[in-house]
Amino acid sequence: MSSLEKETVVRVARVARLRLSEEELAKYGKDLEEILDSFEVLNSAPSSESYDFNPIPVMDVLREDEPFIDIDPEELMKAMDTYEGYVRGPKLS
Amino acid sequence: MTPKVDIEAMRRTNERFEPFCEMISVVPDEDHEFTFSAKDNLCAKGFQARAGSRILEGYRPPFDATPIWKMRAAGGLLLGKTNMDEFGFGTFSTNSGYGIPKNPFDPTRACGGSSGGAACAAALLPGHVALGVSTGGSISCPSSFCGVIGMTPTYGRVSRYGLIDYGNSLDKVGLISRSISDIERFLPVISGSDPKDPTSCCQPRLDLSKVRKGPMAVPKECLEGLTPDVARTFDDAVQTLKEGGTEVDVVSMPSLKYAMPAYYVLATTEASTNLARYCGMRFGVAEREYAQHFNDFFSKTRSESFGDEAKRRILLGTFCRMVGFRDKYYLKALSVRQGITKEYLDVFKDHSMVLSPTMPFIAPKFDEIASMRPLEMYSADFLTIPPNLTGLPHISLPCGYHSGMPIGMQAVAPHWEEGTLIDLGKRWGTTFAYKVPEACQ
Repeated sequence: MSSLEKETVVRVARVARLRLSEEELAKYGKDLEEILDSFEVLNSAPSSESYDFNPIPVMDVLREDEPFIDIDPEELMKAMDTYEGYVRGPKLS
Repeated sequence: MTPKVDIEAMRRTNERFEPFCEMISVVPDEDHEFTFSAKDNLCAKGFQARAGSRILEGYRPPFDATPIWKMRAAGGLLLGKTNMDEFGFGTFSTNSGYGIPKNPFDPTRACGGSSGGAACAAALLPGHVALGVSTGGSISCPSSFCGVIGMTPTYGRVSRYGLIDYGNSLDKVGLISRSISDIERFLPVISGSDPKDPTSCCQPRLDLSKVRKGPMAVPKECLEGLTPDVARTFDDAVQTLKEGGTEVDVVSMPSLKYAMPAYYVLATTEASTNLARYCGMRFGVAEREYAQHFNDFFSKTRSESFGDEAKRRILLGTFCRMVGFRDKYYLKALSVRQGITKEYLDVFKDHSMVLSPTMPFIAPKFDEIASMRPLEMYSADFLTIPPNLTGLPHISLPCGYHSGMPIGMQAVAPHWEEGTLIDLGKRWGTTFAYKVPEACQ
């Protein structure tokens, strides 16, 4: 049984940058507990000798590091708030 | 020849069935050879790319995803973007911020997910080919529910450049159509190595003339948990194949029972990192209260704009990769994936394909879906997850009807052997009578 304490859900939500109401904490906590319980079957699965991060072999693809403009920066800046060519963001502290 | 596009007819179809979240409003003057649509998680110039999510409202990519660029270069006119579950998170396309597609055979039922709009468009629009995307079954499932053909190529066969990631080790761009000849025509168009996506760069050349011979394998584990109508219809389809001279063996693949948990661990873990970029600074919804601390700034947009299932999967994935749980869930799931792949490869030593029903039931009604718990929905994917987890190419073909609703069968081939699946589709099409929805008769 993967008991999921409320404090754990609060911690996970904080890491995921999600603000949850008390009602949401209870709902997702219950759902996650049930889902994680169903994952327990993995403990009985034989472990493979190796693992990879992709289902097929993937090789490194290298190219010359030459600067070029692929997409007009003006176009790219339309997808964000900018000020005098800088991307605006929140304060860090 | 330029195919005729009837915008008014498309509008009427969309009002009733909602396959599209965005459509062209006028037909451009230039000639085109065919029409197609793209799932809303593929970036296309001239359209928003919202992946079914409110958090991407207003995002207009200044470039085409590689598969869209290739389809346009081949003479295709992009008619619109199709509805989908938010970021691909769903089995029924009911988790969309921009409309829920209705099943072409019965609008009180779901299209399946997450490429539900794509399958709906393919079923309803004559001569239409839809670009879909599958992470855990999002091409096969809606193709089965909507009575069309869904081709999911080998992982890495089609470039993912310009695809809004869900699970980057699992996402595959594929095709949905009423006609196997369209799949055969357009798979070579969208396939091929692309330096912008390294996972596409180690593929052997697509050779559709390479067809594996030999008996098919039906895993007995895939015959459990089916509704009687699906079991009976699949059995009849196997019988038809046998009568046509195909040998079919029942085999055992015990590792398949680990596929569902391994998939959801990997998919949500990858999703939780891929979706970290949506934080109110770029792409879509913008937060303007810059005086806030960055944690509050990011959290506000994410909490207000992600839907319910997106939050659930982000939480699950974040949990599975946290210190203390990473080895137990994430690394174990990676290892289990290798084991399942090995089991498939063992079966392929003596068999050409692995065959099963595509979904364990026919398209459910919307009120039935409303009462399903999240785990029940995840479990419904148990037949489509194994080939997706292991990156194996697969095809869903309509194989029968129950109460007027389509039922699909799914064939899985070894990596890079899509030709075997297209050959099956062509052979099946000579013996099986596909039905078109009443709405387009």
